Amino acid sequence: MRWITGMWAEMVKSHQHNFHSKMIYFSLLIWPVLLFLTSYYSLKPFNLEATSPIAEFVDPDSIMLFLLTGFLGYIFFWSLVQSAWQTSYERQTGTLELIFLTPVSRLAFVYGRSAGNLFEAAWLFTVFSVLLLVALGGPQSIIWSALPIAFLILIISAVVWGGFLNVVFLFSRDASILFTILEEPMQFFAGVRLPVAAFPIWGKVIAVVFPLTFVLDIFRGLVIKGQHLSQLSTSLFILAGILIGLIFLTTLLMKLAEKHAKQSGNMVLF
Amino acid sequence: MWLTFRATFIRNFITMKRAYPWSFFVGHILTGVYLTLFAFLTYHYVFDQSMDGQFQSYAETGDYLSYVISGALLYTFSVSLLMIVSRALITELREGTLEALLLTPSSRKGYFLGYLSQGFMRMGIEFIAMLLLGALFGLTFSNVNLLATGTVLAVFITCLFSQALVLGGFMLQFRDTYLTQNTLFILMGLVCSITFPIEYLPQSVQWIGLIMPLTHGIDAFRDVFVEGAGIIAVRESIYWLIGLTIIYFPVGSLFLQRMERTVLEKHFG
Repeated sequence: MRWITGMWAEMVKSHQHNFHSKMIYFSLLIWPVLLFLTSYYSLKPFNLEATSPIAEFVDPDSIMLFLLTGFLGYIFFWSLVQSAWQTSYERQTGTLELIFLTPVSRLAFVYGRSAGNLFEAAWLFTVFSVLLLVALGGPQSIIWSALPIAFLILIISAVVWGGFLNVVFLFSRDASILFTILEEPMQFFAGVRLPVAAFPIWGKVIAVVFPLTFVLDIFRGLVIKGQHLSQLSTSLFILAGILIGLIFLTTLLMKLAEKHAKQSGNMVLF
Repeated sequence: MWLTFRATFIRNFITMKRAYPWSFFVGHILTGVYLTLFAFLTYHYVFDQSMDGQFQSYAETGDYLSYVISGALLYTFSVSLLMIVSRALITELREGTLEALLLTPSSRKGYFLGYLSQGFMRMGIEFIAMLLLGALFGLTFSNVNLLATGTVLAVFITCLFSQALVLGGFMLQFRDTYLTQNTLFILMGLVCSITFPIEYLPQSVQWIGLIMPLTHGIDAFRDVFVEGAGIIAVRESIYWLIGLTIIYFPVGSLFLQRMERTVLEKHFG
C-alpha cells in the first residue's frame, strides 16, 4: 500500500511540475507531429512504387500507417527519456536528496516518475495518431479490439524502460549525452521508420538491443495485421525477458547509486 | 571597442573550454551526423539506390547522398549560428552577468563582435568536422566553385544572423530557450529542403519554407558547391536572402531593444 502511495505522490508531483504553462503543448503535440511529418516526407525521394525493394516487407501504400504506429511507440519511449533527463534538475535543486531522506520506496519513486511523465506526454499524440489512423484508412484499418492489450504492452514496456533510464541518471549529472547519442539510433534501428526486416544482418543485430523493436513488432502485429498473441509469442517472450532483465538491473543500480551517494557525499554534489 | 572585443572573446573561449566539455561539441553536430549516416544506410541498404522518378526534377540533381549531406551540413551550421546569436543575452541573464554587463560603459558593438567571432570559431570547427564526415559518406568535392561558395555563405550568414535577432527577441519575450528554439529547429527540419525537396510538401505549406533563410541558403549552396554553378546561376536565391535580411534585420534589432528594456524593468526594478 505504501508503495502505491509513494508512486502516486510522485506522479502528482510530476504533473504539477510540468503543467504550469500552456507552452508544454509544444513539446507534447506539435513537436511529435512535425517530426512524424518530416519522417514521412523524408521517404518521398525514394521509390515507393510496387517495384520498390521495400515492398517485400511492407506495403508501400500503407507506409503512413506503418510510420504512424512506429512513431506512437517511439513517442512513448521518448517521453521517458525526457523525464529521465529532468531527474538531473531534481538533483541540482536538491529535492532528490530530500526524497532520499524519506522512507519512501526508491523503486516507487523511480517508476512513479516514469509513469507520471508517460501519461502526460503521450496521450495527446495517441489521440492524434488514432484520429489520423481512422482518417487515413477508415475505421476498419485497425483492429479496435486489440488496442487495449497493445497499449497495455506498450505502456508497461515504456514504464520499465523509463525507470531504468531514471536510475542511470542518478549516477551522473552529465548522462544526458548518453541519451542524445542513443536516441536517434533507437529511432532508426528499432524500426520506427523502416521495417527491421529490410535491414542487412548487422542492422538486425543492432535492433535486438532496443526493447522498442519488439514492442513495435507486437503492436503492429496486433493492431494492423490482426495477428493473435499466440502468433507473436517469440517477440513476446523476448520482450518479457528483456523487461525482467531491465527491472533486475534497475533494482541493482538503484542500490549501487545510493551506496555511491553515501560514500561520495550527498545527492547534490556527487 | 577592441578591449571589450578581446575580453569577450577570451572570456567565452575559457567558458567553452572549462564549463562545457567535449559533450557539448558532439551534441551540436550529432543531428547532422545522424542525418548523414541514416540517409546513407537507407539509400544503400534499404532502398538499394532506387529513387522516386520526380526526385531528379525537384532536386535538380540525381545525387541523393550529396543532396542530403549538404542539407545536413547547412542545417547543423544554421542551428549553431541561431543558437549562438539568439541565446547571447538570455544566457547572460541566467548566469547573472547581464546586470554587470549593462552597468559597465563597455562598447555593445565590441561585446557582440567578440561574442560572434568566438562563436564562429566553434562553428568553423564543427563545419570542417561535418565536411570531412560528408566526404566519407559520398559528398562530392570535384565541382566546388570556391568563389561562389564563399559569396553564398557570406550572404547566407548575414541573413541567418538577422533571423537570429528575431528569435532572440522571442526568447526574451517568453523567457524560454528550450521550447522556442526547438520548435523553430524542428519546423526548419520539415520545410527547408534538408532531406527532401519542399516541392513534395503540399503547396499551401511551402511558403513557410520560403521565409526561412535556410531554404534558399541550401538551394544556392547545393548549386555552387555540389554542381559547381556560378554565382549568376543562383541569383534568385541570393535575392531572396537579401530580401529576407532587409525584413528580419530591422525587425529583430527593434524587437531586441524593446525586450531589453522590458527585461531590465522586470528583473532589476
